[in-house]
Amino acid sequence: MIKQLFSVLLAGFLLVTSCVEETNPEFDQKSFTKIYDNNLFTTNYFPIDMVQTPDGGYLILGGRRLAESNFTGIYLMKADKDGNFVKEIEVDDSYVNPIAQLAFINDTYNFFCMDPLTLQVQRVQTDANLEGVNISAVGGDLYYPCASRVDGNNYVLLTYDHLTKQSVIAVVTASGAVSQSKAFTIGAGDKVEEPIINHFIRTGRQYPFEAGRIPGGLYYFNGFYNYTFSLVFTDLNQNDPRGVVQGIQDDGGFSALLPLSITKFAGARFNFGDNYLLPNVILNPTGTSSSVDLGGNTLPELEPNAKVKIIRATINTKNVLVYGSNTRSKQIGLYFYDEATGTFLTSKYLGFSNPFEIAQVITTEDGGLAVCGTTYIAGRFPRICLIKIDASDLTGIQ
Amino acid sequence: MKKLYSLSLLLLMAALAFGQPPKKKTPQAYNSRATNAPGGNFLDKQWWLGLKAGVNLSDVSVEKRYSALSPGNYPASQTDKAYDNFNAIGSQVTLEVSFYYKGFSFSLQPAYRHSLFTYSNNYEWSDPENASNRLELTYDNEQKVDHAEIPLIFKYDIIGNRLRPYVQVGVYYGFLINANKSVEVSGIDYASGGTNKFINDPVIIGAKDLFAQNHWGLLGGIGANYNLGNVRLNLDIQYRKGMSLINSTENRFGSDRLSGIGEAMDDIKLNNLAFSFGCLFPMRYLASGFKTLDQR
Repeated sequence: MIKQLFSVLLAGFLLVTSCVEETNPEFDQKSFTKIYDNNLFTTNYFPIDMVQTPDGGYLILGGRRLAESNFTGIYLMKADKDGNFVKEIEVDDSYVNPIAQLAFINDTYNFFCMDPLTLQVQRVQTDANLEGVNISAVGGDLYYPCASRVDGNNYVLLTYDHLTKQSVIAVVTASGAVSQSKAFTIGAGDKVEEPIINHFIRTGRQYPFEAGRIPGGLYYFNGFYNYTFSLVFTDLNQNDPRGVVQGIQDDGGFSALLPLSITKFAGARFNFGDNYLLPNVILNPTGTSSSVDLGGNTLPELEPNAKVKIIRATINTKNVLVYGSNTRSKQIGLYFYDEATGTFLTSKYLGFSNPFEIAQVITTEDGGLAVCGTTYIAGRFPRICLIKIDASDLTGIQ
Repeated sequence: MKKLYSLSLLLLMAALAFGQPPKKKTPQAYNSRATNAPGGNFLDKQWWLGLKAGVNLSDVSVEKRYSALSPGNYPASQTDKAYDNFNAIGSQVTLEVSFYYKGFSFSLQPAYRHSLFTYSNNYEWSDPENASNRLELTYDNEQKVDHAEIPLIFKYDIIGNRLRPYVQVGVYYGFLINANKSVEVSGIDYASGGTNKFINDPVIIGAKDLFAQNHWGLLGGIGANYNLGNVRLNLDIQYRKGMSLINSTENRFGSDRLSGIGEAMDDIKLNNLAFSFGCLFPMRYLASGFKTLDQR
């Protein structure tokens, strides 16, 4: 009798203790929120782009305020797979104005910046552990880098030429040479140029410059053309654009764009402060149209002329479009749409208590998402933050 | 919780007033082999039922430290939480069912336990070039956790008399019922033109998702029963050693309100020092002349 009782008690004990919590390193990587603090009162870092490295860690490209320059300096940071700070580099002040995309080409991480004296575009190379930073000038007369995106082993780079007052789109090879380029006027007069310069010295509005290529098709850039912030399509051969989706001076236009096919795009547009998400929009790359006519899902919760990031992702085996933006309540809003139909699936809001602003959202190797942004500790100190979201937390995507 | 205390008090008073009414039946009616005579075996064993309530103090064993803040230019250890052990008073109510046999007792004591523990973080931002550019912040955190617990306890009565001290060891299993968390941010801002001391309204949130659904632990303690008529007054002191984590490892960053201010729970085990007072009633009735003092 006693033996039987003991056996029952032992079995029950083993059963119940098998269901308790234990330290689990897997959970540490699946989801976390990390804020990268610095105890210097005047430190001001802000993220620009982020990639996940092969070791599961994260490499963050950021900017930093410089005491001796109106331009922003370069800041690089490495976090491990749990999001913990590993290393940072403040790149020499003689290189400024870093831009996205932080691209992985030829086993190195690359991005563009510029020389503050010559204003010429430079290419920066580093590695996954930030053990070295190499900077070299990009061939050709390219100034003021605005945006870049990888196209195969090349970069599609949008720059601004202050000498000729032109937006320049160029294809830059992995070795840093310009293989093709084409320039388009922004219009005559200093007033057209003023907001562009203010963008670079961060005293004015930050414009959603973009550059890229429709898969196997035309190149495009989202920037200033003919007095207007427009989406311009070009084959880099003809002097005139093949197609233009016009904005309204700098009060309307695209705030983000992601080509899905030759004519189908996922986009977002702004119009006098209002924001519209267009998860399934057909654009004519060889014609002229206006972004105002495109309609879209209006989201009054977003801050005026909100920054928008769009990526494609496969979450819980479903192909989705992930829109990331900033809300009026100072949260980061993520909006998920069916890639095939543009149907809204779900949303998720990140951050509370202190303000949060998005810089980039990426997919991670475990099928989740990572969002990089800025938060303000104690409501005042801007610090880079990294929020990892596990796919299982994204309910509503089946 | 107040209702539970009131209920406990009522039950205790009712038991004292009406417990063990005179019986006409002899002990043999319940146990034909037993005899109440000296040397008989009826008083060798007994079932006891009672209710206890009291206060408890908690301390925390940190298994692994976590923080949502990851510093770049100062040691990560500066973000460690400073736990205030045994300084916040919780409470518990326990129903006790014990089987006594020749000085040994096997006891089942399901309980509702309300535990509190607190910790704080201190941060400072300064400017080497301007002493007035300085901010000090203190985050005071208070956790309130409610568990239903089922302990199995073995007791041994050291001596048998009107006052019967005992020692006890056991194991318990706890189920999470509810949890709340309060974070109060206070500080001194030297950058606003003076010494600006401030205390913000606390952030109070339901934190059930941040805690483990189940946990278990070991317990040991001492106590004493005082035989008063047919009932026993009981004073019980237990130290409960948590053997599994009480936090949720999966939902550590599950609250945006907390992670947004840099707060994330460590992997912790909860230990608890509990003081209870209660009353026990015998379940095996004897003749009207029976006194618990007769128990062997």
